[in-house]
Amino acid sequence: MHLDPFELHRPESVDETLELARRYAGSFDYLAGGTDLLPNYKMHLNLRPHLIALEDVGELRGHSLDRIGAMTRLADLERDPEFLRSYPAIAEAVREVATPLVRASGTLGGNLFLETRCFFFNQSYFWRQSLGFCMKADGDQCHVVPQKEKCYATFSGDLAPALMVLDAEAEIRGPGGARRVPIGELYDGAGDGIRRTRLAPGELLVAVHLPASARRRRSTYRKLRVRPSFDFPELGVAAAGRWEGDRLEELSLAAGGLETYPRRFDALTSPLLGAPLTDTKIEEVASKLRGLVRPVHNTFLAPDYRKKMAGVFTRRALAGIRPGATA
Amino acid sequence: MDAASPDQKFRLLGGRIPYVEGPLKVSGRAEYTDDIKRSGMLVGRLLRSPHAHARIRSVDVEAARRLPGVFAVLTGEKYPTQFGVLPITHDETAIAVDRVRYIGDIVAAVAARDELTAERALAAIRIEYEVLPEYNDPRMGVQKVEFPIHSRGLNGTNIQKEVVQHFGDVDAALGTASHFVRVRGRFSGVTHAFTEPLVTIAESTPDGRLTVWSATQVPHYLHRSLSEVLGLPMHRIRVIKPEVGGGFGGKSDPLPHEIACAALALETGRPVKMLFDREDVFLTNHGRHPTENDVRIATDAEGRILAYDIEALIDGGAWSSFGTVTTYYNGVLSMGPYRVPNFRYRGRRVYTNKPPSGAMRAHGGTNIRYSVETALDELSEQLNVDPFALRELNALPPNSTTINQFRITSTSFVKCLHAARQRSGWDAKHRKLPYGHGIGLGCSFYISGSNSPIHFTPKMPQCTVHLKVDMDGGIAVHCMQADIGQGSNTLMAAIVAEVLGVDLERMHVVRVDSDISPIDLGSYSSRVTFMMGNATRKAAESLRDQLVHAAALLTGYPPERLEVGHERISVRHRPDVGVSYLEALHKAMERSGALLATGSYTSPPMGGEFKGARAGTAPAYSFGAYVAEVIVDVETGEYRVPKVWAAFDCGRALNRLAVEGQIEGSIHMGLGQVMGESMNYRGSRLLNPSLLEYKIPMPQQMPEVECLLVGDPDPEGPFGAKEAGEGPLIAILPAVGNALYDAIGVRFTELPITPDRVVRGMEQRAAAGRTWKGA
Repeated sequence: MHLDPFELHRPESVDETLELARRYAGSFDYLAGGTDLLPNYKMHLNLRPHLIALEDVGELRGHSLDRIGAMTRLADLERDPEFLRSYPAIAEAVREVATPLVRASGTLGGNLFLETRCFFFNQSYFWRQSLGFCMKADGDQCHVVPQKEKCYATFSGDLAPALMVLDAEAEIRGPGGARRVPIGELYDGAGDGIRRTRLAPGELLVAVHLPASARRRRSTYRKLRVRPSFDFPELGVAAAGRWEGDRLEELSLAAGGLETYPRRFDALTSPLLGAPLTDTKIEEVASKLRGLVRPVHNTFLAPDYRKKMAGVFTRRALAGIRPGATA
Repeated sequence: MDAASPDQKFRLLGGRIPYVEGPLKVSGRAEYTDDIKRSGMLVGRLLRSPHAHARIRSVDVEAARRLPGVFAVLTGEKYPTQFGVLPITHDETAIAVDRVRYIGDIVAAVAARDELTAERALAAIRIEYEVLPEYNDPRMGVQKVEFPIHSRGLNGTNIQKEVVQHFGDVDAALGTASHFVRVRGRFSGVTHAFTEPLVTIAESTPDGRLTVWSATQVPHYLHRSLSEVLGLPMHRIRVIKPEVGGGFGGKSDPLPHEIACAALALETGRPVKMLFDREDVFLTNHGRHPTENDVRIATDAEGRILAYDIEALIDGGAWSSFGTVTTYYNGVLSMGPYRVPNFRYRGRRVYTNKPPSGAMRAHGGTNIRYSVETALDELSEQLNVDPFALRELNALPPNSTTINQFRITSTSFVKCLHAARQRSGWDAKHRKLPYGHGIGLGCSFYISGSNSPIHFTPKMPQCTVHLKVDMDGGIAVHCMQADIGQGSNTLMAAIVAEVLGVDLERMHVVRVDSDISPIDLGSYSSRVTFMMGNATRKAAESLRDQLVHAAALLTGYPPERLEVGHERISVRHRPDVGVSYLEALHKAMERSGALLATGSYTSPPMGGEFKGARAGTAPAYSFGAYVAEVIVDVETGEYRVPKVWAAFDCGRALNRLAVEGQIEGSIHMGLGQVMGESMNYRGSRLLNPSLLEYKIPMPQQMPEVECLLVGDPDPEGPFGAKEAGEGPLIAILPAVGNALYDAIGVRFTELPITPDRVVRGMEQRAAAGRTWKGA
């Protein structure tokens, strides 16, 4: 498989980047690590003639406890012990992304906007041509759930659920100026595997901000995958909570790797506030979450198993953040 | 002292000898095929069939040929001669002639100035297909079909090979049996996933010669196939095997792309390189066959095996490859290490419209062994006999003959059982660990070199080794044996150094080159140590005799009073009286210059007189007994294997470092087939042709391995050695399966055992009302 030629742009500021994005509207991709994009390009998946490389844009780099630049390498977070201690869910998520080699190139922004994945999409041009292309690239049908309306490709980033339960916010710049939204609102719950973000054309993720409250929460991220490295999540569950004594003050729960976008389950968690988080309540939430998620058969493990495990992993994540829990 | 004596002491052999090419490999300086650059080299590319089964109605390559930078576009009709690794089943072509048989079958080949031009040329080729019904399950092909995949299928079916064997009287034995177990095994196809992708360079030169560099385990079979298909005499073709980055059987067939690449070189008069990407490698496959088997074992009241009754249905994919051998092996390799007095087998290998299956490490002996060892574990439970005791009771003794007339010479199987039982602390653990934690035993039996050379006419040795030494004292070792990473170059060098008493650094193992390397049949059937080792030893002894003769002239002592020491030949018991290696060499060279020596190996006659009697005969067999420990997460079904005790009989381990490496690597590969490796299909379409979705175990999944090398020297093996390249893979699969049973009380008869299957197994056990270890 070869890489077709493309024009590479290397802006050095956000303004310059936005200008390039305007000029090449509809015909570019951002290059933010390339560990997923370039393999996809080799498979001739939705090639664009222009790549805007973000690594020289200083405003996107660097991280502190409050702010993570969009171009922060995952390996940089991994090497910051204070950061890892402050946010166990992020620490666990980062460490479980792919392999050390991928994390040395892969970035926060790249992971948040990771292309959704599917057995019938992440294949070579030859493979897809031989099957008859799918609606996500070069075709108009779905091979997972046969119909032509909706793409079921799975969101497979690990960081989004972890950031979502910590109430992190995305700082976005675009033609209309700057705005901040909760991480969960980057994803279009009404969309599908193709129409998957709520960013307007020309908008760019600059950084992710973590509120001071995030550091007061106990948090965790639990990932299911076939092998203990390299693999994308078959599901990932994040949970974060704060207690006063044994009384639950804040609780949030999010899952990824199951559907076309990561989602938070506030309706399940808010009734639990103000009381201890008992085994029974945990079991109830786990079983409800399991009933809510709708995985399809486009990853390695069967959907009924992933659904069942969504319950188990939710239970373990919630039990794992209770005061005094050891794992 | 007899070399086969366990007490024989060596200077190098039996120790830990780092690979001679190691420094080059770890520094990136070893030369693999893709590292070779030839002046004016073109890029070769293949067009593959998008259909699983279709007639080629028409091919239009004119537009592709007209593209600037395109040097040649080839289709099947120019070289239609069929070939294949086995002379009796030639059914492959370099490029499909009028029919495509799987998604990925080669329909055209292009040579162009660069990659992009080649891809454009492929896109410009127009092919009209008439799609035919596809047969993606072997069961669809056991009856007469409308469009047989090959005309050579049995009576209009897609059955490529059927083997029916019956020794003794199985029905009578079943009538007297007191215990009986049946296991129906199901196995996904798995593939080799060697590190170095397939790659070939070919160059035809104006002197009328063709040179082919290729990542191959079988340079000689490639040489023959190139000659047959291209119509060039063998002496005008030169085959070179650079360093090879793993094979495991995936490079043990002459492959269509190698011939297509050579054809492009002939067509263009330029060097052409064809480098595969990972998807190409998956589509070329030739991996372990998807298999269903049905194993019935009967014993008497004490657990003595009375009979095996076995059926196997083997999914061959689009070609024959080694399939005839596979079909035999699934039966005949099921018996050892046990004495089986009555044996019945029916095996069928069926063509399907899928990537061809072929030989993969422990070929033909792996899937059937899993079912047999699972059945024995079940029998030991029924009989309430310890699994070790059951196996020891049935062990084949040394110097015996099996019911199908295999000649068993050395076996240290019982020693393997004792070592694994004792080292693993079995008696304190089996059925005594808590729920979710288990320990299991699996055993193995494998050929140490197929007794039958694939090409038995004309009758020639299976291996020949040449040694050449000139006045500088360096020793060039020539042999076509194919080191693919297993350490055979090192072993060859070490044997020569051992016999001559000289330093290993004097050895120069010359790269395999058919112009100068005498024939060895290649790296398959675990034959290299045994056959090359014996040939090398003979060559080295012949060279030693020349040096000793010269030393006799210099010292005035008769040769029989001299002995070889370190870089020196001296009078026995008088080390001060002697000459250096170089003095002896220079004296020996006075007569006719550089010294030459040759040695060869031909296996002795063996086997019965019935049809198929040669299949599975080998000059020796390896044996093994592995214990694996597993820990299961009983909620998620995920499990890990923290520790394996691997007792193995490879005779004398000549290079312990290499043998331990083979055992550890085999355990990794075998664990893959147990834990997650699987070629997944939707119909005829391979869903996971990538190393991301084909789940080779990660380093974190690797258990701690304790190698227990307990074999006694084999009487015919070189310095007492037997194979250690394939047999070590087999036992880990049933050891883990049986450990899972011990852990959670579920019998897994389908591989891979993925976490979802573990959960389902526990649910089904609970639904049946069975408890296990209190859970």
